[in-house]
Amino acid sequence: MRRKEFPVYRVAKHVTVKVLAGVLWSVPLGAEAPAVYAIRGARVVTGKGPILERATVIVRDGLIADVGAQAAIPADAWVIEAEGLSVYPGLMDALSSLGLPEGSPATQRRPEPPSSAEAERTEDVPVNSAWVRAADLLNPAERRIEAARNIGFTAAATFPMRGILCGQGAVIALAGDRPGEMVIHPSAGLYVTLTTRRGGGFPASLMGAIAYLRQVFLDADHYEQARTIYNRNPAGLKRPEYDRALEALLASPRVLLPASTAVEIARMLRLAAEIRRTPVLYGGHEAWRSAELLRESGVSVIVSLKWPERDRDADPDVEESLRVLEMREKAPATPATLAKAGVRFAFSSAGLTDRRDFVRAVRRALNAGLSEADALRALTLHPAEIYGLSDRLGTVEPGKIANLVVTSGDLFQEQTEIKHVFVDGRKYQPIAISREEGRP
Amino acid sequence: MRRVFQIAAAVCSALAAEPPLVIQNAQVLTVTKGSFRGSVVIRNGKIAEAGEKTLVPLGAHVIDAGGQYLMPGIVDCHSHIAADSINEGSVSVSSMVSIEDVLDPEDIAIYRALAGGVTTANILHGSANAIGGQCVVIKLRWGKDARGLLFAGAKPGLKLALGENPKRQGYAPAQGRSPRYPATRMGVEDVIRQAFAEAKAYRQAWREYQDKVARGENAIPPRRDLRLEPLVEVLEGKRLVHAHCYRADEILMLLRLAEEIGFRVKTLQHVLEGYKVAKEIAAHGAGASTFSDWWAYKVEAYDAIPYNAALMLRKGVLVSLNSDSAELMRRLNTEAAKTLKYGGLTEEEALSLITINPARQLEIDDRVGSIEPGKDADLVLFDKHPLSSYAKVQKVFIDGELYFDRDRDLSARPEREQRRKALVEREREAEKKQPSRTRDRDTERPQ
Amino acid sequence: MKSATTCLSAWLALAAAALPQTVLIRGATVHTVSGPDIASGSVLIRDGKIAEVGVVVKAPKQARVLEAKGLHLYPGMIDSATDLGLAEITSVRETVDIREIGDFKPQLRTIIAVNSASEHIPVTRANGITSAVVLPEGGIISGQAAVIHLDGWTWEEMAARPSVAMVLQFPVIQQTPAERTGPSERRIPYAEAKKRYEARLRELDDWFERARRYQRARQAPASGLRPDLQLEAMLPVLERKLPVVIHAVREKAIREALAFAERQKIRIILAGARDADKLAAELKAKDVPVILPRVLELPLNEDDPYDRPFTLPAALHKAGVRFAFATYSSSFSRNLPYQAATAVAFGLPYQEALRGLTLYPAEIWGLNELGSVEPGKLANLILADGDLLEVRTQIKHVFVRGKEVDLNNKHTTLYEKYRNRP
Repeated sequence: MRRKEFPVYRVAKHVTVKVLAGVLWSVPLGAEAPAVYAIRGARVVTGKGPILERATVIVRDGLIADVGAQAAIPADAWVIEAEGLSVYPGLMDALSSLGLPEGSPATQRRPEPPSSAEAERTEDVPVNSAWVRAADLLNPAERRIEAARNIGFTAAATFPMRGILCGQGAVIALAGDRPGEMVIHPSAGLYVTLTTRRGGGFPASLMGAIAYLRQVFLDADHYEQARTIYNRNPAGLKRPEYDRALEALLASPRVLLPASTAVEIARMLRLAAEIRRTPVLYGGHEAWRSAELLRESGVSVIVSLKWPERDRDADPDVEESLRVLEMREKAPATPATLAKAGVRFAFSSAGLTDRRDFVRAVRRALNAGLSEADALRALTLHPAEIYGLSDRLGTVEPGKIANLVVTSGDLFQEQTEIKHVFVDGRKYQPIAISREEGRP
Repeated sequence: MRRVFQIAAAVCSALAAEPPLVIQNAQVLTVTKGSFRGSVVIRNGKIAEAGEKTLVPLGAHVIDAGGQYLMPGIVDCHSHIAADSINEGSVSVSSMVSIEDVLDPEDIAIYRALAGGVTTANILHGSANAIGGQCVVIKLRWGKDARGLLFAGAKPGLKLALGENPKRQGYAPAQGRSPRYPATRMGVEDVIRQAFAEAKAYRQAWREYQDKVARGENAIPPRRDLRLEPLVEVLEGKRLVHAHCYRADEILMLLRLAEEIGFRVKTLQHVLEGYKVAKEIAAHGAGASTFSDWWAYKVEAYDAIPYNAALMLRKGVLVSLNSDSAELMRRLNTEAAKTLKYGGLTEEEALSLITINPARQLEIDDRVGSIEPGKDADLVLFDKHPLSSYAKVQKVFIDGELYFDRDRDLSARPEREQRRKALVEREREAEKKQPSRTRDRDTERPQ
Repeated sequence: MKSATTCLSAWLALAAAALPQTVLIRGATVHTVSGPDIASGSVLIRDGKIAEVGVVVKAPKQARVLEAKGLHLYPGMIDSATDLGLAEITSVRETVDIREIGDFKPQLRTIIAVNSASEHIPVTRANGITSAVVLPEGGIISGQAAVIHLDGWTWEEMAARPSVAMVLQFPVIQQTPAERTGPSERRIPYAEAKKRYEARLRELDDWFERARRYQRARQAPASGLRPDLQLEAMLPVLERKLPVVIHAVREKAIREALAFAERQKIRIILAGARDADKLAAELKAKDVPVILPRVLELPLNEDDPYDRPFTLPAALHKAGVRFAFATYSSSFSRNLPYQAATAVAFGLPYQEALRGLTLYPAEIWGLNELGSVEPGKLANLILADGDLLEVRTQIKHVFVRGKEVDLNNKHTTLYEKYRNRP
């Protein structure tokens, strides 16, 4: 049944590819794409509530119109016979730079270096580009978007990643013709790193980077306070200067802070409390040791699916410490531990674009005790919640954005095929499968 | 609601504290109150009693020291262990950075120093710049998190540095970098004077703002400056200055500069030529924390002599010996013994250099540095007299809790080694099963 | 008149000091090291040598008698690895002559670069170190080590063995450059590092092969061979007259070094071998002596027992490996005995520790005239007011080749000067 439908489709695609030399690979079937779909008879893993066996999902105008065994199939719908197939909420990458290709101004250009007189003033260092907004810099044709979509990702939080205060992230749909169309939310949060500056500028150390952050957030608070006082009564007061970086800090709903080890987690939680901003920690490989602390703080964690591995380029005769070995061994147990402790966490795909690698990475967490339901949540509802978008993303429910993955079976089994990916109600065919199976 | 229960539980557990601990039959070296054969009673982490004859409280846990030597935990006034970064060397004034932000409670150097009898350490910023970062006093509570290391109540410190190190970026900048002021000792003085002048202006700006607010005037508060605030704290006596220095001239310069600005140098660190200006140091009231016998590793250390500590002590300076090194930190007791040899200090004086004197220099002598009732039960049990080259640490207590035990260490070794081997093997096995992953082509992605 | 007398007596004293003295040290606890201690013994020094040792030794006429009741007499200590005389102020390159440029420099001689006026020499001597091995450190074949006595107007006078061994820094796999000079020098891939390492090892073998051909050509009549100073310097090594000190720290390097020695049929002495405990049985079987790495050192690996450097001497002793203590330093050379003391605290028998400072290094370096208090040996002797290994012990007298040397040094001078500052 299914096989009948596909070949036509695939031929069409290949023709497109040849004609357009792959540039428009991510544009699906252009304007002819139907606006209404009925995915009929599938096993629907809604991500909330029980799994629906033999249910139908109705997609209309980019949204999920109906879900259920009794869902009425509209007359204008393209029907996808999905008996034996599974429907999942589309996956969401909780932390990425998708859509922001290397070489874009977001990730490359830096402000001019400060004069030497300014160099000692912490606020003038060229590691603050908080005003840079991922939403303004999206490139729909960025190559990694399709790669991510092919393995089931339909949305992603994407961030500029250069500097210390790198810029404002956006939650985007992983498909679209125009940048504006892709943006689900333009303010996902401020991405922060603790990188140091080479070449002698401040900060040149980890503690310098932390001190810098502390000062910058104090500056932002002061900026706001000064503006308020001035606007209330400007008489006799020097006009406060406009500062785009501080404006951006004030506008950001949250900060993403790097924390992989237990020591870093404790360190960043303290910093977040001090700067009085809502933090989301990313990295999280040793969070299994910090579950209690995280639960108490109520802070969410983005766990990277790129599990730490032995450096295969290291000299085999140089002994590695038990500490490092244990961290590597236990990192995949982090998700299970956090789930048990009631700490909200989401996964970042961390650049895994091969489906087998992705499934294996998730399976390591499953093997370490994580339930499939929790794993799915970490890839759907939890990232949506972290970014305050669970009212529109993360589950298969009527009214939500029609981001869906249709698979041949269990999402976290290697042999499972991704049959269709819906982004904003538009259907995409993963090409990885046809390539792998070597079918025409 | 749960919070309330947690607090209640914490209070209860504190009240129903652990049973008292008695270390008896020990050769007790109190450092401040003489030595005797007797016992130390520990209650709630504090020394409750110390004497030749003490009563063993009901239900107490008793350790028989078998005539071994019990001394106060060693205090190291200058260390760089347990921190993920040491120098913010990019600027000449980096007072906004703090070691406390980067404490690493998992640094193995902590355990190793503990095994050498150190229980308290002053963790300093490095000496790359004239005004370095904020320092923090820790206890070597191995196994606790970064917060758990902090010596609660100890005054924070600020590092200053004179001489070769802070001017190096000026006369010999690292490859590809432009020279950084200063390049001479003259410039070092200027940088410090300038920074404190700025701090005074900053303090004045806040005072003026507060006055305006008090008068009901419309005013915008000054921007908080985390670089200058530590200097204001120094001016107000809330933060201790620890100054890295070597040569007599620069030592004298700082004493006079501090007097001019209006603060006291709490400790001169290294201070290898301190013996040349001991009189002036004593008059200023600065402490001196030095090495026992390091010399000739650089020009400003060429006149260093092992008699430095004894000479300064004899001339009325409050002297301590420090390590500045994770290695030396493991044997400060024999470093102290060198002052018996070079300068003829008494045993008690020698021990004071690594216990009560550094505690005084850090203003924590009400808590640590000697065996006296009321003080923290930070104790080290040596098998021989700690000033003997053959002395080995057997047990170390911090707040009455056993943090190092040689027997425990010895018996835990085989299991640790097995665990290591097992992990390595398991990993290699797993690697064999899985071919090397396709290399990540995308370097821009998060970890 | 009075001043003339003073002058004369001063001159006489000086002249006496310059000449080899006949001295009878009487009533000391004599630690012969080679034999049992003598509770109250006497030692007669004549012509720079130990003439007699015993409970009762008669004082010859004109002999100076040194009443040493309550003092302990030991053979002078030997520091088996130092840069004494080669390095004055470590951070000032102009005062440091340890590392030459180039990988194969067997012709270099440390002895001629020993600065006899170095302040380090009297400072070190004042704590009872009377002889030291001075090692070069550059390249692969660094040059020739020397043994010096810590007394003499010139390096020539100080030399005990101008050339005691060839020094070889055994190649290792290095992914990061040893001295990082800038951010441009990045880590190289393991495979590349291994390739470089193997190339260096091959180069080393080739070098020995070249030397061997040179040796053969030299023996052949009328070969028309042009003299080569570098290869010439290798001949004593090939003839097994000169041992090779191989500096090798980790297990792999030590293992490779042993294989290399076997391959090249050379006599070796290991130095800096921090993993020697892992190969103790092999070292014993091959009778390779070890110049101990610094005992007062941090463990090599994070997971090592905290006391691993402290227990290494005991471990080697237990396995029957010959060893000697060393500081690998000039400014810390005076602390040599405390390396041994820590080894005792962590299991090395006291007598063995003492031998590791005296007799064993004498044996390892082939200094038959040194290392114990026995008649016929050089009178390198020290008198201490207590146990030599205890920090608090004061050294009261030091004799080098029978001459009592001045214990004053830069440090005591500055001490006296500033102690008396009003």
